[in-house]
Amino acid sequence: MKRIAMVWVILSVMSLPVLANGSQDSEMAEDGTITLTTYFQIDPANPQSEGYNETVKAFEAAHPEIKIEYEYASGEAFHQKFQAMAASGQMPDIFTTYVGKRTAYITETGMVMDLNSYLTDSFKSSFNPAAWEPQGANGEIFTIPPSMAVCHVFYANTAILDELGLEFPESYSELLSQVDTIRNAGYYPVSMGNKDQWVVNSWLLSALVDRTGGKEWFTDAKKGDASFTDAPFVNALKIVDEMTKKNVFSPGVNQMSNTEADQEFYQQKSVYLIDAGWRTSAMVSILTPEQQDAVYMGVFPAIAGEATHGSSAAVPSEGFGISAKLEGTAKADAAWKFIEFFNGAEGAAIRLKYGEIPTYKLDYTKFDMAGLQKQYAEFSTTNPMGYIIDAHMDGEGMGQLNPDIQAMMFGQLSPEDVAARYETWVAANDSNRGN
Amino acid sequence: MIESKHKKISYNILLLPGFMIYASVIIFPILMSLVLGFTKWKHFRLVGFTGLENYRDILMDPMFLQALWHNIQIMLISVLGQIPLGILLAYILYRKLVKGSRFFEMMIFLPITISSVVVALLWNRIFSPVGIYTNLVRILTDNKDYVVRIFENPHYAMVPILFVLLWMHTSLYMVMFLANMQRLPNSMLEAASIDGASELKIFFRLIIPALSGVIFTSSILAISGSLKSFDLVFAMTGGGPVNYTSVMSLYLYKHTFTYNNYGYGSAVSVIIVALSVGLILLSRAAYDRYQRKYD
Repeated sequence: MKRIAMVWVILSVMSLPVLANGSQDSEMAEDGTITLTTYFQIDPANPQSEGYNETVKAFEAAHPEIKIEYEYASGEAFHQKFQAMAASGQMPDIFTTYVGKRTAYITETGMVMDLNSYLTDSFKSSFNPAAWEPQGANGEIFTIPPSMAVCHVFYANTAILDELGLEFPESYSELLSQVDTIRNAGYYPVSMGNKDQWVVNSWLLSALVDRTGGKEWFTDAKKGDASFTDAPFVNALKIVDEMTKKNVFSPGVNQMSNTEADQEFYQQKSVYLIDAGWRTSAMVSILTPEQQDAVYMGVFPAIAGEATHGSSAAVPSEGFGISAKLEGTAKADAAWKFIEFFNGAEGAAIRLKYGEIPTYKLDYTKFDMAGLQKQYAEFSTTNPMGYIIDAHMDGEGMGQLNPDIQAMMFGQLSPEDVAARYETWVAANDSNRGN
Repeated sequence: MIESKHKKISYNILLLPGFMIYASVIIFPILMSLVLGFTKWKHFRLVGFTGLENYRDILMDPMFLQALWHNIQIMLISVLGQIPLGILLAYILYRKLVKGSRFFEMMIFLPITISSVVVALLWNRIFSPVGIYTNLVRILTDNKDYVVRIFENPHYAMVPILFVLLWMHTSLYMVMFLANMQRLPNSMLEAASIDGASELKIFFRLIIPALSGVIFTSSILAISGSLKSFDLVFAMTGGGPVNYTSVMSLYLYKHTFTYNNYGYGSAVSVIIVALSVGLILLSRAAYDRYQRKYD
């Protein structure tokens, strides 16, 4: 027994310096360097991730006093591990944070620091104002969106349009009237891959709802002052339904992955492609210069009686948040320096080279950009942007809406049914309605 | 007496590490799931105890019932498709009823050596709207709009998945049965042949009864495996289109890890475990009855 007690005492004494060192590490090392832990969502397969890599190198060179331990993952794998981190309270110092509901499990539970104390008016004025929409119930800003993710672009292959003697459609009815000409010439009118179920919702329906109802109506429907059974939502669904019935989409739209739809467009099998704005990065690296020159970036053609004209839909892209545990510490200041650098002039200029259109205002005339990148920059700054439905409404509701949209496209449900079923779900469950 | 008591203590001490690992990774999660099944969570925080509400909601949710029906289809194809086909193929190879049995043995076994995700991607590449098969049919029939419509059929969308499962897993059962057939005494079969028993009689009267234990074990594997099917379905269709190919584990995954409803997800897992145990007990009873008949 005595021996056990002796071993216990020795082990305890030995562990003291380790513990002491641990607490010192958590703030600042003896040489004054601060070490920050991270967990980022980075997809190395995305050409834009090179922009992240180069920005990080530039930051390390500019701030040798801050040491950052990088850890990253992508897609669902990122979220699964991050949720486990949040659940166990093992949050890193800096981490990927979404503006919408995607990371509500940290933004709505007090785990992310409010950045407002760091945001001066002059700093804010150098960004696209859309970046500063409140992200929390009390006006908190948890993250600076490095770019606006434009989720709806109606790409056109102008070489095929010229070949067929057609022009980019001004109106939705004109688009429908082009279908026969395009099909008779052996092309598919519009490529879009909705196998993953969210694509129609994020990249088409959101823009259509903005056209038919506008931002104000959507905000009302979100809060419950309007209903998803109202005309704007039903009419937007009716357009998707009509496009399916009139063979506007290439065959198997609900079996095709988004990548497959892109390939169809790149291989010049289709005239139009509905996809996100950041697809231009891939186009720049995949398409030949002649093919790139033939790509036109437009918005969905005008709809009769629309509430908003010429709008697309966008969501502030995910940025970096700081752990709320660091509030008021030197570590928080160091983390802010990283975020400021990444989103500010230096970081924005680097990321622009790799296809991102930063929220930080840059003078694009000073940069050597590919034609498509210039088009994207112009597109994202000149077109009004509506909301993306799944960035504002609860994710669980998308489990109701997205499969129902597919069922509608298969003729199993009517647009009115889809709207009614979603409204029922939202009224009973969505957190925006106080549930 | 004292020695035997000491032995008992020693055995228990030796068993303890193994038991603790088993308890922490098997017993504890099951008991925890049972408790969590009565709770509601939001953003990793316990909102409250809900009693049987989760179970009521699950059993009344048409999406869950649809997923359950798909699992039943997988179970039926496993028990009534993979096992009988596995026995038949093993018997053909065992009795050398075809030439080049070694070659066939290898070819039939091949699919199980490939990862389910790779198999799913492979099948997708063939049958997707831009896949090889689809394009070939489009060229041959001059129909540019051709796609494999069975994937969009609410009643038959599961058929391609069932077919892939049959193709993939039959080989596993075939190897199990073949190994057991090779252990059977040759004299028994020779005697039957000398007595003039036909191939069918040998198969049904000798081989099947001799393999009853393996068939039972295989059935348990098939039932439990079918109820927790995930990887192939997830990689092949993700449960879509709509929810035409959703299975219970996908339903559980969505509610637990996408919507963070841990209580609801735990209740689904309890239902899956209960169904597995119930069906295994049922097959045990059927097996005992069969054994008594032959005893």
